[in-house]
Amino acid sequence: MMSSKRFRGIFENLLFVWLGLSVVLLLGGQNLVLPNWLQIIGRSHPLLLHFPIVLILFGVLFQWIPGIDNNADLKNFGELSLLVGVNFAGLTVIAGLILAQEDYSGNTFDLHQYSGFGVFILGALFYFFRNLPKTYLKATSLVLAIGITFTGHWGANLTHGEDFLLAPILQEEVPTLAINDAQVFEDVVMPILETKCVGCHKEGKIKGKLRLDHITGIQTGGKTGPFVVAGNLDESLMVQRINLPLEHDDHMPPKNKAQLTDEEKKILVNWVLAGAEFDKKLIEMEPESEFFKLASLNFDESDNYNFEEADPSTVEELNNFFRKVEPLYPGSPALVVSYFGIAAFDPSSLNELDKIRTQVVQLNLNKMPLAGTDLSILQNFINLEELQASFTDLDSEQILSISQIPSLKDLSISGNKLSEKSLDYLSGMSDLRNLYLWETGLSDDQQKQLSSTLKYTNVEFGFDSKKVVYELNPPLLKSEKDMFGDSTLLEINHPIPSVEIRYTLDGSEPDSINSLKYEAPFWVKKTAEIKARAFADDWKGSPEASTLVFKAGNPPKELKLLTQPNAIYFGKGNLTLIDQIKGKPNHTSGEWLGYQDNHAEFVITLAENQKPKEITISLLYNEGAYIFPPTQVEIWQGDGSNWNKVIDEKPLQPKNIQPTRFEALTYGLPETDFDQIRVRLKRIASLPPWHPGAGSKGWVFLDEVSLLE
Amino acid sequence: MEKEILEHGLGMNRRKFLSRLSLGVGSAALGSLLIPDLFSGGKPNEDAIMDALPHFAPKAKRVIYLFQNGAPSQLESFDYKPLLRANMGMELPASIRGEQRLTGMTSGQDSFPLVGSYYDFEQYGQSRAWISSLFPHTASVVDDLCIVKSMHTEAINHDPALTFFQTGAQVGNRPSMGSWLSYGLGSENSNLPAFCVLLSRGKGNGQGVYSKLWSNGFLDATHQGVQFSNSEDPVLYLKDPESMSRAERRKMLDHLAEMNELNFNEFNDPEISAKVAQYEMAFRMQTAVPEITDVSKEPDSIVKLYGPECLVPGTYAANCLLARKLSENGVRFVQLYHQGWDQHGNLPNEMALQAKDVDQASAALITDLKQRGLLDETLVIWGGEFGRTNYCQGQIQADNYGRDHHPRAFSIWMAGGGVKSGIVYGETDEFGYNIVENPVHVHDFQATVLHLLGIDHEKLNFKHLGRRYRLTDVSGHVVKDILV
Repeated sequence: MMSSKRFRGIFENLLFVWLGLSVVLLLGGQNLVLPNWLQIIGRSHPLLLHFPIVLILFGVLFQWIPGIDNNADLKNFGELSLLVGVNFAGLTVIAGLILAQEDYSGNTFDLHQYSGFGVFILGALFYFFRNLPKTYLKATSLVLAIGITFTGHWGANLTHGEDFLLAPILQEEVPTLAINDAQVFEDVVMPILETKCVGCHKEGKIKGKLRLDHITGIQTGGKTGPFVVAGNLDESLMVQRINLPLEHDDHMPPKNKAQLTDEEKKILVNWVLAGAEFDKKLIEMEPESEFFKLASLNFDESDNYNFEEADPSTVEELNNFFRKVEPLYPGSPALVVSYFGIAAFDPSSLNELDKIRTQVVQLNLNKMPLAGTDLSILQNFINLEELQASFTDLDSEQILSISQIPSLKDLSISGNKLSEKSLDYLSGMSDLRNLYLWETGLSDDQQKQLSSTLKYTNVEFGFDSKKVVYELNPPLLKSEKDMFGDSTLLEINHPIPSVEIRYTLDGSEPDSINSLKYEAPFWVKKTAEIKARAFADDWKGSPEASTLVFKAGNPPKELKLLTQPNAIYFGKGNLTLIDQIKGKPNHTSGEWLGYQDNHAEFVITLAENQKPKEITISLLYNEGAYIFPPTQVEIWQGDGSNWNKVIDEKPLQPKNIQPTRFEALTYGLPETDFDQIRVRLKRIASLPPWHPGAGSKGWVFLDEVSLLE
Repeated sequence: MEKEILEHGLGMNRRKFLSRLSLGVGSAALGSLLIPDLFSGGKPNEDAIMDALPHFAPKAKRVIYLFQNGAPSQLESFDYKPLLRANMGMELPASIRGEQRLTGMTSGQDSFPLVGSYYDFEQYGQSRAWISSLFPHTASVVDDLCIVKSMHTEAINHDPALTFFQTGAQVGNRPSMGSWLSYGLGSENSNLPAFCVLLSRGKGNGQGVYSKLWSNGFLDATHQGVQFSNSEDPVLYLKDPESMSRAERRKMLDHLAEMNELNFNEFNDPEISAKVAQYEMAFRMQTAVPEITDVSKEPDSIVKLYGPECLVPGTYAANCLLARKLSENGVRFVQLYHQGWDQHGNLPNEMALQAKDVDQASAALITDLKQRGLLDETLVIWGGEFGRTNYCQGQIQADNYGRDHHPRAFSIWMAGGGVKSGIVYGETDEFGYNIVENPVHVHDFQATVLHLLGIDHEKLNFKHLGRRYRLTDVSGHVVKDILV
């Protein structure tokens, strides 16, 4: 027979074993990999836990028996009970920690876990320090008893559900959004009042003696009358007040406060019409009633899918770079399918989705070229709730197929031109929650009619561009070459493809009627300033855009500069003007000659048999950089000693600073015998008073001179 | 002697205690056998991600974040404070300013004169929200917005504040919000990156943005933000090299992948497979990106909606349009930055220019998503890194003044994606200096954004250098009041 002391010794030692094991499990628990057989120990937790509760409470109770210290047997019995109880507590903790691997978490779980461990430690300490003065022990015993009680309570909450114990006496106030549980007043009407009305009609701030923060107040009404009268819109002050115009003094909510949305207004009004119910459940209301239809929109049914999950390998097979098939959220049987990549779209791939036709709840086909694709297969997708098929070239046949999808709630087919027939099919879809019809070519009347037919659908027609009139951006002119020998190809583009572009070749401003209409790139054969504007219905015509193309004539024998350009803008000297390279708009590009200190003057010696009829001088204007048109252009013909002045002109001077631009000044030459041409361009001697540099000398910039025969 | 009495009382002495303790240590060793990686790594990351994902259908699938870099003034946009105008030039009471740390730019000022908005405010929409006359288009969509007037942050200078907003920490090297989403949710469209970045610059005083803001930090390189530029190549290095055909390119990539696989089999370095995946995605992006950046298939009315500027590449309007196109093609997180909101001086002028840049296009984005049925699944966010002071920086004039940085209260707005529409959340005091109702910390904001996408911000973490990191660091609460 084992002595009682030896028995105790074993149990005391065992306490340390449990302690060590439980500490390890507690610290490393999250990373535990469980062999199956250990799970059995874990699952014995709900059995084991009864022992420590009883034994420890029983052992602790002995501390309170008066005169216990004088009765050795009784005392021994109590201590033994405590020791065995604490050992069971250790075992229970270990089993519990193993069980915890099976997906437990949350606040209650943490409380239970740590308080359970605490009870075990405290119990052990209590046992080892059992000879301390009575007062300490009594206090500790109370703590221990309370600890055990709460640990047990939290544990019960974990297995039986939150507040299992107190449920019969607790008011359940967890808001629920499942449509089957929703209350007419609590969950539909009150939330509206709470956000928009209660702020001013509540205890401590009872405006108009009306309290809306509890049912009695709502049923009683305020200073001027009843808030609601069931079924009677005229006598319900709420209905009157919310329907007054915003500017009216009695309008509610007051003008400067957050207003009711149209939907909220409708719900409140229809609630009164339907009898201003306070106690009914939403599903008890007439399902065809306006109130039910409006109210039910706000309750999510999407999380109640009870169909079977698709085979994961099927789902994986259906996934590729251009089609994503994934669950609505991890673990949900509902699937979301999205197509990407217009170029890679294969219409027949829709048929592959037949394998998951029960599971697909959302399908995104936006922008896929669906023209001619048979969509009747979608009718088999019995749980499909959301279909996005914007900009997909749908025809009425396809709309018909879509309208027959049984569970469809949200449909976006923006960007598809709708025929009368399509519109008819859509009119029949009264179960839709949202319908998106932007850019579908519907007239205002058609829009109005559809909205009134689909009473319970939020139909979105989107941005109406006709009400906005902007100026178009100028078109972009691009010539193959700025300076050409024989001809150059000119292309005019606009970022908005549907605009009409009109242009002129003579420097006049293009208009939308008489000017040439741009169809395709065209060839330009002579020096010209091409101006273009873009026009479109519902837009203001664009500002004009222009470009200058420059025909290079035959090169002369020689060009000699009589005055020297500024040393900084010297280019390639005299060659600059006959190198047939058009300068860039930037005057510092090195392709320009710039004159400020003196006028530009040069002499051209013609090649043999060269008989030019025209001379063109290419210039740069940029008032911001002090570069102005020449104030005077003089041209002489001659043979080196005799000069005959044939041109003396004064180009038009600007009146303000304009953007940088090119200019080509062309002058006809009389058909007399000559072999030299002298040109003088006078730079502006004193900038005009409106210019920031008023009074100082301006510049003349030129880059090319060409002679045309 | 005392010791012996105690030991006797306990039925225990040191030797006994230690010998018994050894039993405990032994059992600890036994226990560790059950936990193979107790002293090594943690759970694989996939499991950690699964833990963080929702058990309900998330409201938002994608985010477009219109970051107004430089910190737009809340007092000239969404936080209407008539008192400041009435008390123009009067001293900010010390009791209001409290212990607020000031930047070096105004800490030397011996006076802090209050300055009211140069621009008038009006109430709009059913929500009766106050919006300044600088944002007429935004005002027209106010019933789709949730304006939060009670944002606050910790940093008082641009770079730390910006980094804080984007990565949850003031010092760089952490993953950006978009990277976290890419890591948690993956890509929706496998032909495009999950995280794209678009930059634009206004005419106002600007502050830099750096690529660290869209860095993947310690996350896998595939989660890095991809910057789209406004040049002819929106994505750099995407074109086939000169004189190499698409077919040749394919062949080259196949061979490269084979070689990489050999290497991977030998070294098991996950960076190798990440690289292969990126090459493959780049190849698919060669067709996907031109499809998206092509504006020519957009209806004409789009230009009217976003404003003609949207046709000029690189502008904010063009980026908003591009953001919509990326987002509808399954890019999880599109991050825009518009620079130029740092109005220390010349505020009335510069702010008007900045507002003109962004107002129409921001509102257009909301309308555009809405008319396609995409707004309810796309979260749009508009806001800067902090607010601006209610007192004047520098010389105060009736029509010209400046405002310094202010971290204690500022306004942002959100729209779509599971956020309540047509509400104004939070309130500041009548000086617009302190929050008096419903403060929202940057980490709260981040927690809320993650929540809307179905992610538990406390669980989405990544172990790096021995500790677990998350976007919200060690704080942050979901702002439940603004959720649908």
